[in-house]
Parts: sequence; C-alpha cells; structure tokens
Amino acid sequence: MKVELTVNGTAHSLETEPRRTLAELLREDVGLTGTHLGCEHGVCGACTVIVDGTSARACLLLAGQVDGAHVETIESLAVDGRFHPIQEAMRDHHGFQCAFCAPGFMMTTKAMLDANPSPTPDEIREELSGNLCRCTGYASILAAVEAVVAGGTTSKEKDHA
Amino acid sequence: MREAIAGRFVGSSVRRVEDARLLTGNGRFVDDIVVPGMLHAAFLRSPYPHADIRRIDVAAARRLAGVTAVYTGAEIAEITNPYIGMLNMPGLYEPSFFSLSADRVRYVGDPVAIVVAASRRVAEDACGLIDVDYSPLPAVATIGQALDPSRPALWPKAPHGNVLHTASDSYGADEGTIDGVFADADRVVTQRFRQHRIANQPMETRGLVVEMSPDGNAVLHAPTQSAHAYKWLMALLVPKRRLRDSARKIARDREQLKRFMKGAKEFMAANPNIAEANKQTTAQMMKNMVRDPRQAVALQRSMVGLMSKNADERPEVAAPDIGGAFGSKTAVSREDITVYAVARAIGRSIKFVEDRTENLMGGGHGREEQVELSFALRNDGTLLGVKAAMTIDAGAYPGVPIGSPMITAMVKVMLPGPYRFPVFKFDARSVASNKGTYVPYRGPWAVEAWVRERMWDICADELGIGRDEIRLKNIVDPSELPTTMRTGPKLDVRMSAKRTLTDALAIADLAGWPRQQEAARASGRLVGLGFATYIEAAPGPPDYFDHVMPGFGSMIGREPAQMALNDDGTITIFSQQVPHGQSHETTFAQVAADQLGVPIESIRFVWGDTRVTPFGLLGTGGSRAAAMTGGAVTISSKELRGRILDVAADMLEAAREDLQITDGNVHVAGVPAMGVGLDAVAAEAKRRHADPAAKPGEAMRVSAFFDGGEGGWSQATHVCWVEVDADTGMVTIPRYVVVEDCGELINPAIVEGQVRGGVAQGIGQVLYERLTYDDGGNMKAATYMDYLIPTCMEIPAIEIHHIETPSDIEANYRGVGEGGMIAAPAALTNAIEDALRHRGVRITESYLPPSRILELLGTIS
Repeated sequence: MKVELTVNGTAHSLETEPRRTLAELLREDVGLTGTHLGCEHGVCGACTVIVDGTSARACLLLAGQVDGAHVETIESLAVDGRFHPIQEAMRDHHGFQCAFCAPGFMMTTKAMLDANPSPTPDEIREELSGNLCRCTGYASILAAVEAVVAGGTTSKEKDHA
Repeated sequence: MREAIAGRFVGSSVRRVEDARLLTGNGRFVDDIVVPGMLHAAFLRSPYPHADIRRIDVAAARRLAGVTAVYTGAEIAEITNPYIGMLNMPGLYEPSFFSLSADRVRYVGDPVAIVVAASRRVAEDACGLIDVDYSPLPAVATIGQALDPSRPALWPKAPHGNVLHTASDSYGADEGTIDGVFADADRVVTQRFRQHRIANQPMETRGLVVEMSPDGNAVLHAPTQSAHAYKWLMALLVPKRRLRDSARKIARDREQLKRFMKGAKEFMAANPNIAEANKQTTAQMMKNMVRDPRQAVALQRSMVGLMSKNADERPEVAAPDIGGAFGSKTAVSREDITVYAVARAIGRSIKFVEDRTENLMGGGHGREEQVELSFALRNDGTLLGVKAAMTIDAGAYPGVPIGSPMITAMVKVMLPGPYRFPVFKFDARSVASNKGTYVPYRGPWAVEAWVRERMWDICADELGIGRDEIRLKNIVDPSELPTTMRTGPKLDVRMSAKRTLTDALAIADLAGWPRQQEAARASGRLVGLGFATYIEAAPGPPDYFDHVMPGFGSMIGREPAQMALNDDGTITIFSQQVPHGQSHETTFAQVAADQLGVPIESIRFVWGDTRVTPFGLLGTGGSRAAAMTGGAVTISSKELRGRILDVAADMLEAAREDLQITDGNVHVAGVPAMGVGLDAVAAEAKRRHADPAAKPGEAMRVSAFFDGGEGGWSQATHVCWVEVDADTGMVTIPRYVVVEDCGELINPAIVEGQVRGGVAQGIGQVLYERLTYDDGGNMKAATYMDYLIPTCMEIPAIEIHHIETPSDIEANYRGVGEGGMIAAPAALTNAIEDALRHRGVRITESYLPPSRILELLGTIS
C-alpha cells in the first residue's frame, strides 16, 4: 500500500506492506533511527513520537493508520545543532544513562508541554509514567522536566557550550 | 601523597560527553546499524519447557520467497563447535551443547532453527512454516523438582541428576569444630530464605549485526560488555574445523602458528602467575576429560582450530552504543553464535535483534536462589559462627563465560560482609531446570547481603536486643583495620562500613523511630523502617578474585589504558572497557583532563572496537571501571604528560619542573602568554623523533597497565521507610536514604545516577518483578504486561549522603554500579517486616506484591 506522511516537516510517500508499523517506516524507510523499539507491545514507551500533536506509540500504529499524518520525532528537537530546552535540561541534570529510552521520554515531554506548558510535579510524574527507564530511577529525568517548566521559554537562550 | 594538581574536573558533575549524540537520536545502537546487502534472522523457539525433538521439517520454510537460508540444530552442529565447560571447578558437571538444539529442548524459548531472509517479517513468516514434532517430557520447574530424582535429568550424562555442582567450604575451623561452636552457643537461629527469579531487562534487548567483508572475514557489531572476550569466544566456536584440517593448515602455515604462540606467550609473560594460579583448574580439566573423552575431543578440536585460524579468520568486534545490560550482555549468546556461523557459512551480512518476549524468555535470568542460614550467637548478640547452604536455580543452559558456580562462590566470599565472626561453613549447589539461563545480574552475589541483613533483624528480635545493637556489636571497627574477612579478602584501612551505618542511623533518627511507629499504629497505619549495610569489592583487594575461584584473578589480569597525543593537540584514550550507560566517555576524560591540564572537549575515550583497543577479558562489569580504568588513565596520563613536558621544555628553553599545562597550553608557571599549544608540541615531537608506538595522526602514544594497587571496597548503608495499606496490600516508600563511601567521586551526578538506578531495580525486585513459571515449566511473564518494570510512579525520591574516607592513595576511586541493587532488597524487606512484625509476620521471601502482603496479613489465603 501507499502511505503519505509528513515527518519533521518533510513529506514522504512510501510504498509499504500494510502490516508494517510507524516505527518501522520511520527507522527503515525514512532512515530516522532515533525512535527506538523497546518492547513492541506498547508498554515501554521508547518508540514514543508525536502524531498530529499527540504523543503516540510508533510500535502500535500500523502503516494504514498514519496515512496523511504529521509526525514529529526526536530528530526534530535540536535545530541547527542547538539543543531544544528539553534536551538541554536533560543534559544539565544527567537525565539519562544508556539513553536508549531517552527519545521516547523527550517526545512524551514535548507533547505534554505543547499541551500544557506548566504542569505540576505530580502531573509530570503521571504523564511520564508511560515511559520505562531501567537505568536512572527516574529522579534525574523528572528533575530535568521540572527545570524546563520552571525555566519557561527562556532556557532556549541559555548558553549552549 | 596525592599530587597537588588542581582538581578542576574530578569531583564536579561535568555534563556528559555522550549526550551530544544520545539526546539527539544520533546514537548508533545495534538495531540502527545497516550494512549493504544485510539479511535478517529470526529463530524458531520451543513452545515446550522440556521435550525430545522427534523430527523437524524445514522444507516449506526454505521454499518461501525471500528466504535465503534455514539451519536446524543438526546443521549448526556441522559448522560450529559446541560450548564446552571452561570453569573446571571441582564438583561441577559442565555439559557441552550447541547453539541450536537438535535432539532435545530444555526451556520455553529454546532455539531450534534459524531462518535468514530479506526481512525480519519474512523470516518470522518462514518460522511459522517449520514443522517440529516434539515428544514432551516432564518439566523441572522448581528447585524442589530439580532435587527430585524421579524427574528426568536435563543432561542425562550428569552424575547427580539435575544437581550439576556441589561445593562445601569451611573457614576458621574444620567442620567438626564448627559443629561444636554451634552446639555450645547460647542461641542458634536458623532460617530458610527464598529469592525469586527476575531478569536484567535492559531497555535494549540483545542483538548482533554480522558484517561480512568481501575477503570473507567478519566485523561483529555486538552490544557486548566485553568486546575482546566476545571476539575470542566466537573465534573458538566458529567455524568448526576438523582436527586434521587444522593440523594440515598449521603445518602449511608455520608463521601463523608462530604469531599465535607469540601472542599467547606475551599474555603469559604479562600474567606470570597464571599457570601456577590455575593449577587446580587444570587438574580438574584433565579429570573431566578422562571422564568424558568426547568433551576432550571437542575441546581439542576447538583449541587447535583456534590456533589454525589466521587473524583474518578471527572476527573483529565493534560494539555500538549499548542500551543497558546489567550483566545480561556479558554472555556470548547461543543466538549470537548461530547468527555468526550462518553469516560465515553463506557469506552474507545478517542482523538479528531480539524482541522483548525473546529477551524475557532467553535474554538472561537471575537471582532464583534459596539459602538456609544459621547464626550461632551469645545472648548478648555476639556472632560466633555462621552456616549457610545455598541452592541456585541455574536454568537450562549454563551461562558462558560466567556460570552459576562462580556466583555461589562470590556469595560465599561476600556473605560475612563487614562483620567479624570466628567460624563459617558454606555449602553450595547449582541445579539445572527448564527455565532460561541464569546470568550475572547487577551484584550477582547480592543474596549474601539480603539474607545476612534479614538475619540480623530476626536474631535481634529473637534475642530481644536492638537491630542496631546487634550489628554494631559485630561490625568491624576502624580501630581493627586492616583485617581480613572470615573468607580471606583483606579489609584495608579505608573500610568505612561501620561509619555508613552509624551515620545512616543518625540521619534516620532510629532512636526516635519506636515512638513514631507507635503513634502511626495508634491511628491504624502500618509503617516500618528497615536498614541494611553491605560492602562491595569494587574492585576489592588485589587477591579478591582468587578467593572466589583460584586462578581467576590472574585471568582478568591488569587493566590496560593507552593514550595518544594527536597531531592536532587533542588526546585519545583507548580502553578495553565497554560502557553501556556508565558514562565512561565523560568520567575518564575528567580524570585525564585534570592530569594533563587540557579541556574535557579535547579528550576522546575510545572503547568497544577490538581493532583499536587494548586487550582485556573483563570489559565492563563488576563495578571495576572507576577504580581500574581510573587508575590506568591516571598512570598513562602522567606518562604522557611527562613526555609532553620533555618536548615543551626544550621548545620553551625552560626547566621541565617549571612548566604547567593549562587549558591545553604548556607554559612556564605564571607566564601563560608565552606558552606553546599541544598541537605545536605534537609537531615538534614528530620532527625530533618518530614514536614507533604512534599510529597515523598521532605524535606520541603511551601504554600503561594498572594492577589495582591496594584495590578497595565500596560500602553503604541504606535506610528504607514503608507504609503498608492493610486493605490493599500496597507498599509505598515515603523515604529512602543511602549513605555511601566509594572513595573520591569523579562525577557526583553520575555516581548518584548509578546508586538511584540500582535502588530502583532493587525495589522492582521486591514489589513488582517476577519471572513466573507454572509448575509445568510454562513461562507466564513473557510481556511487559506480566513482567512489571517499575515506572516513575513507583520509585520514590532517594536521598544520598556521601562519605569520603581520607586516603593518600592516588586515584582513590571505587565502583558504584552494583551497590544500589545489593542493599535495596534487604532494606526494603526489613522495613516491610518492621511494619508487620506486631502482626506475627516474618519475611523470608523476596517477592512481596500486594497479594502476598495480604496473605501474610491473613486477609486472603
């Protein structure tokens, strides 16, 4: 089947088997491997991307479901080599260790902040509870997201060194 | 004395070098690797826990469009050598087995065939077309069943059924005397403890991309914790070469044999005690061979085959970014062997990446152990002697290269912890069962801390004395240092376990706890406080591993590090470590930057590629890197600094002693404006003298080894508070405190991340995670809907307090990777018992989900 979708602002027209998932299309056809597959059954959240403004599990969406969709992936966060404030906060707070789960966490965070720029710590915790990290115990990730919220948009202007 | 170089980077939470790629989606994990013409593999796996294979028919799979090759177990046996036991421990039966099962399957998930096809999808379709006729056998699903002689043996040739290993050791006295100590004691407290089966579960599963080059050799893009060990095990097992072909090849190509022997001699020369240290295992190996000549033939074929293989017939390993491991990627998996063998056989590159269900079934299990523990005590709480009998459920196939008998040996050595007592007896037993393979999992010996710290609480309760009092009476005091553990390893003067305990109890206000608990109970709440102290050999004293297994220490050898000054003035560190979340690119850059006086950004830490990194068998594991590589980088940095200063002194016409390096600028102290850059030093060094060790693009290269020096211990006390909901059985953790001493902190944020991550896994173990099998050996936890990894809703805030015991030792760094997980189950289960003790509850098991709590409370049965 043929699937048209926009990924990080670029239109793609893909010929694919219907049984393939959005994650496979992104990784294998579009060539963006930042979206990781951790469980392929919708629990771990490593594959989280933003589809038409909402966070979604790329491992659970089949090709036919994303025809015409606008998809944002981890590769869209940094612009011209400049970290997005979420990435910057994650680096400042040592958010991740192996960082296999990192793209999913950051896309969940982006979708959350796009919808609500000032969530409470409890809301952050609730929202991120759909993503699994095996390395960190989560404290560093939560601290980073709270810092993004506290910093508002000004963190974009921070030193990138 | 520690040299007074201003610590600009060590001690600071420097931001991670790794994050530039890992936070942008530009990491390169195994599944991200695409090589031209690459095929994809899938495995057909057994749905039965235990069965004979009567017949396997792959004809329809071979006919499917897009399928390139299908191999069965019988066909794999033609092109690979079997795994052969290499531990050679007395009392151990080591079965040999191939990477695919041909005649019998031994666990749900046991691979019986591989399909290689144009895509993973097609390969999985083809697996569905393979017809296997199984004849089911009764399963061995529990330790009890493994000890039942009426159950079939997984390995029919094993001399003692499913008990594959037994060992018994006594310390401080012979067995009879120890019995006397127990007979004479005021009290003997005995308790049986049971740990449940869990799994390492890194977020990235295991996988491998075999890249075949046109000359027929291979690069293995393998997320392994030890690139060099992986390479040599692969070269040993693949491809199979008949003995006479190997001999003929060696006879034809004497130069190759000479090169091989030269390498072996160099290894022996670098590790002079290796033959002596391995005397016992060598003798055992001979005995095993006499008992089972077929194994001797297989071993000989493998070893001679290895000697006959030219460098270009041995694979190279290039580890990509690794998405966590926690011990599960120390092994060379049967799937890896199969994929590599088939890639060589058909001359095609192949990718295989496990899915999560495969990883839960076969990607490595840990912890299922039972320990019967007896403490002989005086009424005042003085510990007089300990007896422990441990049984480990090793699963179906022995772990390679680290098998369960090494784990029981580590538990034995570590069980005394920081406590003194005169006599100790330890019996160990490993049993085979129809479950996935037991592998090392973060602090693989952690049951020692759990049962010991649980036991202190039980004994305190029995004797009617304080939980703190009984520990403080028996824990080693700084005034007694240095001393040795009852099992042999030295406790040096930096051993601060007691201080972590007393500090932690002060922070926790243990004295005020009974009042708080009473008040909570009065208002109907069940609250508890538990604590636990452990020590960890990270890396341990110099002879630590020889107490675990004679000869093992010499196999690991010294830690190498090489460092180069590049033409452009930057520095490269080459290490045998294979980090997979530990942030080595940052921490070792910090160590080197301080020694050399250069910015972090000018240092690159190179790891994981056997073509460019120095040889070492251990890779990253055992919480050793901070100490061992920290030391090796310190030594090699000093040497490189000396050589840089030699050249710069002439360039600046100054005395070497007057020179400083600041921010990459070599100058006379006080006159930075008159300095020379490291790129200029590199150019001048090259002009004068070509360093024979330097590679293209390098001006000089130094090579150093660190023997571990005095080694040393990490130690900590964890305190956990819980509240138990009597209606639902839910346990919540309102507060968690860690007081730890790992020597000097290289990067506090990284240390704290390791500690918190370890605690989180320990909490997961007790409250959420369990690899459930039914009594028939069927796996019941093959997805994340059944195997519950804790989320951020379950993991509490964790307070960390650091102690740094002062020392003159340079590079006074010790590892922290495993400790969090060693202490957490003990502190948490102690807290739960404290909350429920007045209801008559005693905790002797490690899995305490709400349903179990309600059973313990008598609410449900």
